[in-house]
Amino acid sequence: MFRRTFLKMMAAGTAGAMIGDIPFEAFAASDKTVNWLTWENLAYDKYIADFIASSGIKIQKGFIGSDDEQFAKIRAGGAKDWDLITPGLDKVELYVASGLLQPLDLAKIPNAEKLYAPFKSTGLGKKDGQTYGIPFYWGINPMVYRADLMDEEPDWSTLFEGTKYKGRLAMRDYALEGIAIAAMYVGIERSRIFKMDDKELAECKKACIAQKKLLRTYWNSIADLTNLFAAGEVVCAFSWVPPYYDLRAKGIDMGMAKPKEGVIGWCDTCAIPAGTTPESTEAAHELINFLLGPDYGKKLAIGGPYAISTSTARDSLTDEEQEKIFIKDMSVMDSFVWKENPADYGKWVRIWNEVKAS
Amino acid sequence: MTAIQQTPASANLLEARGLVKDYTSFRAVHGVDFSIPHNCFVTILGPSGCGKTTILRMIGGFESVTEGTITLDGSPLMHVMPYDRPINTVFQNYALFPHLRVKDNVAFGLDIKKIGKSEVSRRVAAALESVKMTSMAGRYPAQLSGGQQQRVALARAFVNEPKLLLLDEPLGALDLKMRRHMQVELKDLQRRLAMSFLYVTHDQEEAFALSDIIIVMNGGRIEQIGTPEEIYHSPTNTYVADFIGGANLLPGELISVDSTSAKAVLKTCIGTVETECSKTVSMGQPASLCFRAEYLSSAKPADSESISFNAVVSHVIFQGSTKLVEAEINGQRIIARLDHETEAAVGESIALQVSNAKCRVVHGSPVKPEDAP
Amino acid sequence: MSSAAIETKRKRTAFGLTIPTGLFVGTFCVLPLLVLFSYSFFQVDFVAIIREPTLDNYNRILHSGTYMGLIVKALVYGIGIAFLCCVIAFPLALFIAKRVTVYKSALLTLLLIPLYTGDLIRIFAWRVVLGAEGVLNSLLQWMGIIHEPLWFLLFSPFATVVVLTYNYLPFMVFPLWASIEALDDSYIEAAMDLGSRNLGVFFKVILPLSGPGLVAGFLMVFVLVVGDYLTPQLIGGSSGVTVTSAIHDMFGAAFDWPTGSALAWVLLACMTAFVAIALYTFYRSPWGRGIRGGRR
Repeated sequence: MFRRTFLKMMAAGTAGAMIGDIPFEAFAASDKTVNWLTWENLAYDKYIADFIASSGIKIQKGFIGSDDEQFAKIRAGGAKDWDLITPGLDKVELYVASGLLQPLDLAKIPNAEKLYAPFKSTGLGKKDGQTYGIPFYWGINPMVYRADLMDEEPDWSTLFEGTKYKGRLAMRDYALEGIAIAAMYVGIERSRIFKMDDKELAECKKACIAQKKLLRTYWNSIADLTNLFAAGEVVCAFSWVPPYYDLRAKGIDMGMAKPKEGVIGWCDTCAIPAGTTPESTEAAHELINFLLGPDYGKKLAIGGPYAISTSTARDSLTDEEQEKIFIKDMSVMDSFVWKENPADYGKWVRIWNEVKAS
Repeated sequence: MTAIQQTPASANLLEARGLVKDYTSFRAVHGVDFSIPHNCFVTILGPSGCGKTTILRMIGGFESVTEGTITLDGSPLMHVMPYDRPINTVFQNYALFPHLRVKDNVAFGLDIKKIGKSEVSRRVAAALESVKMTSMAGRYPAQLSGGQQQRVALARAFVNEPKLLLLDEPLGALDLKMRRHMQVELKDLQRRLAMSFLYVTHDQEEAFALSDIIIVMNGGRIEQIGTPEEIYHSPTNTYVADFIGGANLLPGELISVDSTSAKAVLKTCIGTVETECSKTVSMGQPASLCFRAEYLSSAKPADSESISFNAVVSHVIFQGSTKLVEAEINGQRIIARLDHETEAAVGESIALQVSNAKCRVVHGSPVKPEDAP
Repeated sequence: MSSAAIETKRKRTAFGLTIPTGLFVGTFCVLPLLVLFSYSFFQVDFVAIIREPTLDNYNRILHSGTYMGLIVKALVYGIGIAFLCCVIAFPLALFIAKRVTVYKSALLTLLLIPLYTGDLIRIFAWRVVLGAEGVLNSLLQWMGIIHEPLWFLLFSPFATVVVLTYNYLPFMVFPLWASIEALDDSYIEAAMDLGSRNLGVFFKVILPLSGPGLVAGFLMVFVLVVGDYLTPQLIGGSSGVTVTSAIHDMFGAAFDWPTGSALAWVLLACMTAFVAIALYTFYRSPWGRGIRGGRR
């Protein structure tokens, strides 16, 4: 699936982006159909079957592999194929700047009232007082480690200094998070992390280069990282949550650390592309409201486990279930560093490439 | 190149004894014996599939020897690698290296021997000179005609001064005129080089034109070894006689064989003949009377040393100074090469005679036309 | 029909036969490349492509140690792996072409089997072999040769070289095999007849005369290695970055199509230059004569 010669890669990259994907059963569209482009694990039939039955709205699903892929697809003219998409909160401004989204009618999304405070107050996803991407579900990207192979709980410095775990560490191959974590490590003020000037970036780059020498590898997919933990290749990594639960379930003593300097928080939104028909727009709003509601929220909390952005389902969850998705003690949210899109992200990518090529 | 120890010169350059070659499914060579004298042009003659090329390849070292021995100047050759044998080969398709110029092809063997550069170029020049290819030295094989490639292949082989030069049907790919021309040159070259040539061909004329000794092969066995004259005039059996062509073979009934005087009495359709016989003729075995077409003459006057008979003319072919007359007697076909003045009309009887001394009793039955090679 | 008319018709037919290929290549290869080429002169401002031609992208790349370094690294890997493949494939191809008789097609099919499995499966299989707790380390430890796992076996340039060589070996074996198969045995016999021993036969006759296969295989492996970013990424560890993955990042993550296009074109130009120089040098060399069949 990935084998591409150089030429093929370029050809496919361009041609594929221009043609875009067409939703499954696109021709079966009725009055009340929502073509939903999202992550596969958010759209299991068991989560949304009730909604389809009660609303009479058909849902045609399409799946994304990465946030960047989604943007490239919509940017290259795919907007007309979709009625509801799932951009990262930090990426919404890219879509808005490209004129790809329409403002949401919050009156049609009553559950938006129950958004957790940080999501209500965030400036991300909004422009000129209009909401274009409404926070949908969220989580944190913590450090995950093999508790059986490490003496103490790691923090960000574990990934940047010392030789004890040299060659047994892993970092995600992602410029945004890679540099943001370096920023936390070198002590950049939290509010400045995504607005760093060249001098601060240079400091981060230096830290990243030092980090590279300590790494076993950069990881690209969470399944791959899980595999590396299981095989004992890696003892500690900047990670996502799933390996922690997956490997504990297999009997490996895993640990999860949320360094005090800050933890990267992420949030995906619901957004409606510009130019949808009034019927689809109506139906998409209805679906958004469902996604922020108690029924879906509870199912995702247990099945995910992920938290939705509203408190609608919170009270129906046990303490343990709440703990799992970080909503038991809501103050933890204060330590999150919510991902933002740097003004010149191209520069970040170039720096990251320089780090990897160093 | 010194793996072959120089031993006191034996009578022959190469001796093959009881040579057998088995392939997985069949036996290609059935235990043959022959010798190649020094400075001699030897030809193995036979139809395709008779094993002649296999023998050549065993001598060259490209095929293993299943049984038997090959010795060169008295030293066994069987376990000597091709590159250590003082033997060179001219391949049927020439096998000139397409990526090397003519002069580099010729120098190939000399370069390996690590002799001085000037010596190499002197010898290459001389070799090209002797095949009249000096002007082509800078060309690539693909730029040469078949005849020219042939000469280069020859030069490339003999420039190494081998003790024995093997030639595998080297003229097969050339047109008739070029072939005649090259035959003369080959023979001339062999004399000048004073080297032994072992030549393989299925063309009997070529064999006669070139050879000092001819080895006639059939089905992996040797039928006869002899000088061209012996093969021509005294074939030992019907196979050789027929392969050479132009001989009359009449089946007969053996009356007696005297092995000491090598004479036999044979009863045939032209009468009972007592004459010289081959060693292989014996009672109880088929035998035929053999005499060449040109030995016949029109029978006037008949003499006592000759056999005379009448036959009915069935065809006459004009051939300039001679005419070829085909006649029948008791259902046997006889071909006579007669003087062009002889009168012969189709359908009429003609009186013919052949000298008793020129007839020969050979082993075997005449080869039927459909069996002929 | 006159012979001229026949000739014209023949030419037309030949031309007609090339149309499907021409259309395909034009639509799916040349056209995207041209689009890419035009992009390489644009600029990006946040999410807007500014269509004012400029050479800035090229300027930045040509003066960037990182990107030029990555291109050089790609070429070095391409050439190195192709060379390694040559060294390994030659004996194999020679063996299959000149020694194997009965099981020839079976052996060739066997060689293809790695290509039937997906890239990722092969890569993960190699992880199992080379990993710290992998087959090789376990074996060596069990045999008492080492006491600690050899960490350099995986996630290292070493691992990248091993896996890339393995991946692309068939692309070298097949053209070489075809070349050697077509090589008349009498050339080999003639060389031996003239006194060449095994190595001499190989270097003086077989190697030059398998030139076409060698060149085809070399270029195929070279291009495939330069384009493979997945293997270095998943096997090469922290040093597994490639110029293709950098291009990939620029298109995907950074939404910087112009710089990505420019980098792609610089890479393409470097590869073309290398291939052109290599072919020219080869054709001029005595070995190249094998390809030209001695024609000028």
